[in-house]
Amino acid sequence: MTLLDQIEDRLKGVLDPETGRNLIAMGMIYAIRIDGDRVEVDMSATTRGCPLAEMLRLGVETAVLGIEGVRAADVRLVWDPPWTPARMAPF
Amino acid sequence: MPGKQLSPWTLAWFGAAMLFLLLSLATAMSGAVGPGDWSRGAGFAAVHLFTLGWLCLMVMGALVQFVPVLTAQPLARPRLALPALLLGAAGTLALAAGFLWLDGHEAMRPFLRAAPVLLALSFGLTAAMIAPPLLARASRALSEVRMVLLALVALAALWISGTAMALQLGGVDRMPDILPEGLPLHVLIGIGGWLSLAAFGVSYKLFAMFLLAPEQTGPVRRAVFGAAWLALVAMLGAGAALLAGYPVGAWVFAALAVLLPIAAGFYLAEVARIWRLRRRPKPEGNMLWSRAALMFLALASILAGPGLWQGGVWAEAAIFVALAGWLSLLTLAQIIKITSFLTWIQIFAPRIGRSPVPQVQQLTDPRTDTLCLMLWSGGVAAATLSLLLSWPSVFRLSVAALFLAALAVAVELVRIRRLSHLDPSLRPASLPPVIRPVPVPVPQPEIRT
Repeated sequence: MTLLDQIEDRLKGVLDPETGRNLIAMGMIYAIRIDGDRVEVDMSATTRGCPLAEMLRLGVETAVLGIEGVRAADVRLVWDPPWTPARMAPF
Repeated sequence: MPGKQLSPWTLAWFGAAMLFLLLSLATAMSGAVGPGDWSRGAGFAAVHLFTLGWLCLMVMGALVQFVPVLTAQPLARPRLALPALLLGAAGTLALAAGFLWLDGHEAMRPFLRAAPVLLALSFGLTAAMIAPPLLARASRALSEVRMVLLALVALAALWISGTAMALQLGGVDRMPDILPEGLPLHVLIGIGGWLSLAAFGVSYKLFAMFLLAPEQTGPVRRAVFGAAWLALVAMLGAGAALLAGYPVGAWVFAALAVLLPIAAGFYLAEVARIWRLRRRPKPEGNMLWSRAALMFLALASILAGPGLWQGGVWAEAAIFVALAGWLSLLTLAQIIKITSFLTWIQIFAPRIGRSPVPQVQQLTDPRTDTLCLMLWSGGVAAATLSLLLSWPSVFRLSVAALFLAALAVAVELVRIRRLSHLDPSLRPASLPPVIRPVPVPVPQPEIRT
């Protein structure tokens, strides 16, 4: 299993508490970049004013840092392009 | 910073509003109001405990919580939330006490002069918190923000008209004589202006979020704003004329009988569009019961025409359906959801990414919520019918049903806060206070070395 697979697998355990779906299925994970033992993640939330956005970001950071071989994680909230329901995987 | 979009006093606003709801319904049950019987002092007190204590405080608390969500900007002065709430509650109690002067309690009359001051301070402090993010350049373009700004203009007009009447009753001689002509205008500004427009604005955002529907603006939303703006201009113009000593022309009420249902109709069409475009296959109880509230809005709009033309039982029924059916059912349905969401954030958000967490809906009991809101809706329907048919005993029984439903919702909110519906294995060892949330703890990422 590659490091990218491990990261995606771990992020599937981070759930949106409203829908119960993981952040990848919600289309909130925009990009994952790996540079050696350093991981960068671009993610978003359902709306820019979402009170959960920063907590989800910290949750993703914690999840990624929990993977063996990852020494640093830089998780950023991005709003361009904005999240829309069209990004979600079908229910 | 985690939790920066959360106001720590939101649940205190909600709790105070729920207490006012129960107090107003208890007062109504005691016989303070009934079909054709709204103008005694105790009746005015009951009505204002409901409109000001329950609905107005709830809308203000909701704006304090949701303006940062609408605008993606923090409140300007979040520390003002508690004083604004305390002053609003004090102003409501003072006004209700002051109205008892009409029933012969002479000592209560000074409260009619104190209440407007307390309420002005409460409204002013709330505006100081929410106006800067609402008026920011990036926010003003948003349709939901423009609607809330329109609602705030109506709130100012509501305060001016209410103050003129309260001070006139309170014996201040220099006030313009706007009673009784000003009363229907005051009611229209309160229901059709402040409360409904604020509900329109916030619901645009919340409905899209809860239904996972795209956030879009468009011609229908602009039509809602245009009709609401014209209605508000008519109300403000009539109010200004009345304060200047001129009578309110019948054309004003004729115009409002057309404009208010048009605004409501376009709004309902917009919500129907959001509903159609949703990605959530099974909407939760808060949205299903909000849909029932929207049906009450449609009914109130239908009754508004004869109510504005003929008054009497039609006006009573239209006002009751708007306040208890549309605004209160919407609020009760959403308060359950929002309380569970805020409780989830407070307790479980720090565990995201660290350990399994429950879903927000696991904090509620959908069956209990359905029974509560069904009882409320049935009570509203029966009370409306009793008003149209002038049946005082049925009205009082219906209000008793509303009281029971409100009490059951209040108990349910406490149970949500205590995580009573959650599997014990998922409950933390200690829980935050029921009313005042503790600040959301900041989770520290574990750094592997």
